[in-house]
Amino acid sequence: MSDLDRQIEQLRRCEPLKESEVKALCLKAMEILVEESNVQRVDAPVTICGDIHGQFYDMKELFKVGGECPQTNYLFLGDFVDRGYYSVETFLLLLALKVRYPDRITLIRGNHESRQITQVYGFYDECLRKYGSVNVWRYCTDIFDYLSLSALIENRIFNVHGGLSPNINTLDEIRTIDRKQEVPHEGAMCDLLWSDPEAIDGWGLSPRGAGYLFGGSIVTQFNHTNKIELICRAHQLVMEGYKWMFNNQIVTVWSAPNYCYRCGNVAAILELDEHLTKRFRVFEAAPQEARGFPSKKPAPDYFL
Amino acid sequence: MAQDSEVLDDEEQKQLQAALQRVGACLKQDSSSRAISVYGWEITAFKRPILNMITRDRWEHMLGTSHLPEMVFGDNSLELVHKDSGLRIHFNAFDALRSWKEEGLPPVEVSAAAQWKMRSKPSKEIVLDYDYTFTTSYSGSEAFISSSNTQADSSKFQWLETDEEIDLISLKARDPILFYDEVVLYEDELADNGVSLLTVKVRVMPSCWFLLLRFWLRVDGVLMRLRDTRMYSSFQQDGFDYPKVLRERCIKEGNVQDLLAMGTSPDMLADRDGSLMYGKLNLSRKQTEKLVLIRN
Repeated sequence: MSDLDRQIEQLRRCEPLKESEVKALCLKAMEILVEESNVQRVDAPVTICGDIHGQFYDMKELFKVGGECPQTNYLFLGDFVDRGYYSVETFLLLLALKVRYPDRITLIRGNHESRQITQVYGFYDECLRKYGSVNVWRYCTDIFDYLSLSALIENRIFNVHGGLSPNINTLDEIRTIDRKQEVPHEGAMCDLLWSDPEAIDGWGLSPRGAGYLFGGSIVTQFNHTNKIELICRAHQLVMEGYKWMFNNQIVTVWSAPNYCYRCGNVAAILELDEHLTKRFRVFEAAPQEARGFPSKKPAPDYFL
Repeated sequence: MAQDSEVLDDEEQKQLQAALQRVGACLKQDSSSRAISVYGWEITAFKRPILNMITRDRWEHMLGTSHLPEMVFGDNSLELVHKDSGLRIHFNAFDALRSWKEEGLPPVEVSAAAQWKMRSKPSKEIVLDYDYTFTTSYSGSEAFISSSNTQADSSKFQWLETDEEIDLISLKARDPILFYDEVVLYEDELADNGVSLLTVKVRVMPSCWFLLLRFWLRVDGVLMRLRDTRMYSSFQQDGFDYPKVLRERCIKEGNVQDLLAMGTSPDMLADRDGSLMYGKLNLSRKQTEKLVLIRN
């Protein structure tokens, strides 16, 4: 058994790798990812997965439902890390699979694959806690810069973490972005990872003063211009695991069941066969006893 | 109780049982609720999944909005019922969101907004202006449940300002906690610009119950806002026909740049629930009231 196969077995048991192994794995991953396009081509059949957020044991459920990689060809739409307890193991397992089976798994970047966001929402702290230093966080966030921004399945289904951008009309405009950088605060690359569909006419600016919202007419125009039939994205929690909008021109897929270990939502993955026939597979969180940590029941607290 | 045993060891479990027996209290639990009956009070925490799409749509319609927090725990609640007097105090997301909608604060810009102002705009752009922080002045719901079912009784409970204060000193005593729970009503991650969180915690001791409803808002790099409601009721009542309940409300707020200038550490600025920042923020208003029954 090769070192990499052994590491994959180890990660499947939710045991993190040694720091030196992470460093070597990231170097190998970088060589593969640097060759990928900003609009990475993906062949069907393929199974599309939304946000995971470090919920390792729930990702194991996902693989139970969808099949293991490489038997199943996977496309993950980003947000592998933060919030859940096992961002390190989750991301490293996906990355190790990518290095071992580069043509059977595609990873694109979510807004949480960023140095700034991971320092606030958990991944940074988790690396520090599990390794006693931030080196692993550095190796991983350096790899984040190499992740592709989107994927195109059989030239017909466009996949992105967040959504569209007013600065982007064609897929070729995405191809020209220099992606090897921290996610910027504004601009096309930021929008692809952050924007949301919304029931409005045209473009909308979030009340936060940053962040675009796009209506049905924008999606119709984009799909027409680029000769695609569907946009598949993640980024927003949906209680039912997936949500269609705008006459089935766009779908949100959410793959973190019982999000943050307390929302009680189900998760979904979208299976496409060789004819691009769609089948959603809905699944629930791993049973409590499968997770290796005590229940989230708050301990009595003398709050004032 | 099965859940309690996960956080309590055998010795603590025995002590809890003895303490419950001493006051004649009784615990109940099913898959989505936990309750205690003590001194005529029935205190229940309901915890269920977030609202599904259909119910969200219905709530949006009823509240007259097209935006709700990302996680609405619409079937969660904390309820405190005193049967003999007909008093029911409860905490729920719907009433809290109704207060949010009524207050309708102008939106707060996130730190990236300054850069966005320089961006060239699409030809047609709608600027949404609802209060995405879901700031609410909600401080609980109360009702008089009439015991007579033949005649409409329009008596009602009201809060009146008082000079009395909740006895926080006695609440610091390490009396056994007979019942504890924390219920989230809603939460939003502000698209990773911070957190908006409304929760209610309750603890029941041999001599009283005490609860804290907290709205906590963190807009990263910009603002922190806390709105607390505390309620307290002693089990030693002095002859009234309904229990004496005190309510203290306070509002605290802080600008992150000011807090940084005061030397607040970045760790504290990532506060998830307001517990770290509570003592650091400036109090802008505080008020104590007591509950009175207005007889008809």
